[in-house]
Amino acid sequence: MEILTAFAIGLTFAAGLYLMLRRNVIRSAMGLMILANALNLFLLSSGAYIGERAAYVTHLAGRYSDALPQALILTAIVISLGGAAFVLAMLYIIAERYETGDSDQVDGLKH
Amino acid sequence: MTLSEIFWRNIVVLPILLPFSGALAGLLFSKHGRVRAAFALTAAAAALGCGLTLWGMILESGRPEVFQVGGWPAPFGITLVADPLSVLFTIMSQIVIVMGIVYAMGAKDSCVGYPPFYPLFLFLSAGLTGGFLAGDLFDLFVFVELLAISSTVLTAISDDRFGVEAAYKYYYMSQLAAAFLLLAVGTLYVAFGTLNLAHLADLIAREPARPLLPAALALLLAAFMVKSATFPFHFWQPDFHTAAPTPVSAMLSSIVVKLGIYGFIRMTTLLAPSGEFPINSVLIALGIAGIVFGGLSAVGTYNVKRMLAYSTLAQLGFILVGIGWGTVFSMTAAIVFAFSHSLIKSAMLMLAGYVASRASVKSAAFEVVGGVGKSLPMSGVLFFIGGLGLVGVPPTSGFVGKLLLFRSGVQSEHIITLMMITAASIITLIYTTRAFQKIWWQDRSESISVKPYGDRLIAPAVLIGLVLLLGMHAEPLVRAALETSRWLMSPTAYIQAVLGG
Repeated sequence: MEILTAFAIGLTFAAGLYLMLRRNVIRSAMGLMILANALNLFLLSSGAYIGERAAYVTHLAGRYSDALPQALILTAIVISLGGAAFVLAMLYIIAERYETGDSDQVDGLKH
Repeated sequence: MTLSEIFWRNIVVLPILLPFSGALAGLLFSKHGRVRAAFALTAAAAALGCGLTLWGMILESGRPEVFQVGGWPAPFGITLVADPLSVLFTIMSQIVIVMGIVYAMGAKDSCVGYPPFYPLFLFLSAGLTGGFLAGDLFDLFVFVELLAISSTVLTAISDDRFGVEAAYKYYYMSQLAAAFLLLAVGTLYVAFGTLNLAHLADLIAREPARPLLPAALALLLAAFMVKSATFPFHFWQPDFHTAAPTPVSAMLSSIVVKLGIYGFIRMTTLLAPSGEFPINSVLIALGIAGIVFGGLSAVGTYNVKRMLAYSTLAQLGFILVGIGWGTVFSMTAAIVFAFSHSLIKSAMLMLAGYVASRASVKSAAFEVVGGVGKSLPMSGVLFFIGGLGLVGVPPTSGFVGKLLLFRSGVQSEHIITLMMITAASIITLIYTTRAFQKIWWQDRSESISVKPYGDRLIAPAVLIGLVLLLGMHAEPLVRAALETSRWLMSPTAYIQAVLGG
């Protein structure tokens, strides 16, 4: 299971990075979102294999699981959600101003 | 509990909380620009006052103020630590932020009138001071994100029509930096099971051979490199700092990049002080590359703001070299240099924006502002003094920083590095005189006209006045930096102050 999780997270990372490096701005925005999810999964896995029972549940036996990574992810999710909305808003303006979806043609600052 | 008791108990949070509440209060008055600006100025000035009070407190007691949010003891709760380094950087950034708000109040940009402008400015301030005061890595991440988002929005609403493009580029880079930082957080959590900086430092000192630690430190280094725009990760910076509105670009190029510098100092003195990892030599190499590359790029630019952004790359190189040498004196030099660079660079960017606001087209390109300064002698004098500060000529605080840096280099016998940075620092003289000559010296061509009104000059004048004051009466700053670097050399004191016992 651990190996499988590791491979799955690695694959998500790879997919996110690959999409992020595309020239199409929408695809690269999607890559950013997938990358954020890959990071969250990575953080989740850092606490996933410690303990057997859910934290804060008293009637189960065994070691508590580590609840901190989940708290970290909750914060990271909120931030990445806000960031994703913001990127999409910027892309809307860019698409309107430059009339293109190709990031190579968004080059007004290059002289 | 009386009000003053509450104040003294929570003073560490106030430099973060005051800008926050000022921002929220400012959002309520969406129709009154003056009220918003007044709120922003009051909140920033109050935060500066808290920073200075904190400095007095920790100087008197000789140990840092530690605040455990919610009363949970470290390393379990959220910890805010006001040690000399954090407080000095907080004071530095609050001075520049107050002046930035003063400049924005007198600026003619239309984006300054947007309701969210001052609140965003205060969020930037809160993110910055929060990053300096944060006692654990995840809080640092949260504040860095706050800083990144607020500065991106501030650039995206710029009057410059390329503002959104620059903001878009920067946001991708800062998301990448955030990804590095989160990966470092996760890796360190797997390796040591804690994110509290003091606890981490304690555990790393005990067991430096843990697996994953080199990877985590490398990720952390990469995150701070993007944040401070050091050499290989600097390419977003000139675009971003050119397109931002003047008061904002004066913040970005002076204090926002100092968050990365703060991170480097924390890494080399607290997290990995033993020298088992080659962080210091990496910093020196990056610093020299930045000095040479930034200086040469600054000579060849077509835009004053862009030139100043490249110059930031070069100036941060000197700070990195000072941190990399790692002695008490070189660290003192790095801190003094960082402080004076913040004041000088923000003042010079404001002056560039001031000239641009008088030009017929709102742009800081040399072909638009060339000769415009000829009828604005006051700004020319200020720019010239600022340029002397960048080069390191007395009586400016830039001279004090450079003198300390070179002396510490001679003392610790890094002769080759010293020769390289001395030769490269002559480039500074070339680009500052080039800009001065193009804007304030040469006659303007027929096609360029000067507007009779523009931004107000008071903020850069005050900043340059501070630069001169700290150059002629350098002792308080140098002494504060010396205290700070002495404190930094004993990480066990930091660990004890936070964890107790």
